[in-house]
Amino acid sequence: MPKNPLLLLQQGKPLSRRKLLALGLAGVGVTGAALAGGNALRLALPGLNKKQTQPVRVPPVASDISVDPSGVNPMTVLRDFDYGTIKQENGRKIREFRIVAENSMLQLNSAVSFNTWTFNERVPGPTLRAKEGDRIRVLFLNQGGHSHSMHFHGFHRSEMDGVRPVRHGAATIYEFDAEPFGVHLYHCHTEPVTRHIGKGLYGMFIIDPPESRPPADEMVLMMAGYDVDEDRKNELYAFNGLPDYYMMHPIQIYQNQLIRLYVLNMIEFDVAATFHLHANMFQVYRTGRTLTPTEETDVITMGTAERHILEFSFRYPGKYMFHPHQDQMAEHGCMGQFEVIGSA
Amino acid sequence: MPSFWSLSFTVAIAGLIALTSCGNASTTNNTASPAASPSTVASPTSTTETAAHNHSSGKQININTAILSELDKLEAKLGIPALSNKIQASRPYGSPEELVTKKVISQEQYDQVKDMVTIQDVVLTGEAKDVDYMTKLGLMKGHLLVARELLDQQKPDQAEPHIGHPVEEIYVDVEDQLKERNVKEFKTTLISLQDLVKSKPKDASVKTSFTQSTEAVDAAIQALPETQRQSPKFVLQTINGLLDAANAEYGAAIANGKISAAIEYQDSRGFVNYADTLYKGIADKMVKENPEAHKAIADSMTQLKTAWPTAIPPAAPVKTPEEVNQLIKTIEKNAQTAIAKS
Repeated sequence: MPKNPLLLLQQGKPLSRRKLLALGLAGVGVTGAALAGGNALRLALPGLNKKQTQPVRVPPVASDISVDPSGVNPMTVLRDFDYGTIKQENGRKIREFRIVAENSMLQLNSAVSFNTWTFNERVPGPTLRAKEGDRIRVLFLNQGGHSHSMHFHGFHRSEMDGVRPVRHGAATIYEFDAEPFGVHLYHCHTEPVTRHIGKGLYGMFIIDPPESRPPADEMVLMMAGYDVDEDRKNELYAFNGLPDYYMMHPIQIYQNQLIRLYVLNMIEFDVAATFHLHANMFQVYRTGRTLTPTEETDVITMGTAERHILEFSFRYPGKYMFHPHQDQMAEHGCMGQFEVIGSA
Repeated sequence: MPSFWSLSFTVAIAGLIALTSCGNASTTNNTASPAASPSTVASPTSTTETAAHNHSSGKQININTAILSELDKLEAKLGIPALSNKIQASRPYGSPEELVTKKVISQEQYDQVKDMVTIQDVVLTGEAKDVDYMTKLGLMKGHLLVARELLDQQKPDQAEPHIGHPVEEIYVDVEDQLKERNVKEFKTTLISLQDLVKSKPKDASVKTSFTQSTEAVDAAIQALPETQRQSPKFVLQTINGLLDAANAEYGAAIANGKISAAIEYQDSRGFVNYADTLYKGIADKMVKENPEAHKAIADSMTQLKTAWPTAIPPAAPVKTPEEVNQLIKTIEKNAQTAIAKS
């Protein structure tokens, strides 16, 4: 059953920015005051980022955004980080996540509906986030019909590699230490992987460094392709699940605010895609494995499953596109834009 | 559609001639590398052991993976109707105690069964192990049944995923048991067929290779004692497993009132057809032993099959996923009643 994206805010999580909006508590153009956007952003980081240096300013997200009947809303996906549930066991902190694989229908555009396979009823799956060294426990239940699995990138024992198919109706537990810090991903590793990922079984897995990164307006962008007619070629492409969504609903950011993008290329069938940002340059932290930038550019090439942290800020107000520079991908849905709002 | 497959013996497929030997036994290694553990949950390192017991005796039930008839032992012990389904519906469990925190049973009830339940690896034994084995081979049979229909209709491209599924999704879960059951490995056979259908779909050797795969799965089924293969209690448990998978797949095939994912429609067709074949094998006994359950199951099965008129999906679904779900639940409920009685 489709869910209201606000229900993605599970109990026990601190109030997030969106929750505040839903409660009508957030005003426009808030600064670093008590319930400000920036604080709200970091309130949602339990055990992380305790130190606050300067407020991060995030424009209020329009609450009138139409939500796809499937409950998937890229605006929800954008700044939604799932830190799991903290448990203490034998003196050790465990970060527990619960993931269910199911099937649902996604309206990709007015003409195309697509049967997706989902982790927790969304495409992409939840962005799982932890700190390096945390013990991660993932309770995975497969209700999808087909066998599925969860394969995480990063260090772990072979038993936890998630290549063994989990049959329909069964649950399994993956447990490992979160290492090394960086931007990683998880995806179903049941063959044919092209189809299992292409149907939606993928998500981002962020491991924060022991010393948190500087405060920023953080967001995730995952590029994916849709092979709608099963011809092993993509007919549509998207950022965060829905083609062209951020063209129709630009991502609002503030002028001169540091933006930190966690970008992943999850496009199957095409060997590589670039990420290009208009009218700017960004600092690259390859695979999120460094604390200082490794290069600066405005177009970066990623093979499937490659991912990076990109940082930038915009000097001038206005709208600025981002897209892969394989332009046919952009023309078929992999398009979005930032709307830079001037400092009042 | 005539039923070529009986559990007791393999019949050569009409239209597929199995006389020539296949000179194309490729020895490609499968890319999927199974983990060594026999069940899905590998135990974490001892420092963070979640449960007090590391290895369960065969008496323990893994509440994350057990099939309904295993969970019935808990239902019987506590005398709570439909408890098995409730346990299944509240998965996944991070610890056995979550049966209480998730309000599946009370603390007092949990105390009565806590030695019977675990989330650790359970090495299945006895009937549960055999039902699990048979269900997995049954899913393979379902895939191959629908693959054969598509090959016969000159649609090798549509048959290919169903030839792939047995080895991609299922084989790893029966692999460990083949030796002890004296069954020859047949991964190589399945992969050879997949290679052939992918690269030379029009080749005459496809038929031979297909027959070999079918015979290999049949031989693996034959390894079970005949008494078991003819026991309604045993077969009904397998049927439940097949229909449960068919139910999810049928739901995944339909969008906006259209059948939009042919592969999932075909998967579910194969599972239902094989479940039906299995039921026909025990129908006579069911009539004698459980006439009421038999009537409900046979009627629902007849209605259920109409949802898959052809191997190539019809333009509009004959039945909604809800209708299919309802029929499958009716069969499951009556099967559970019959299983409990035997």
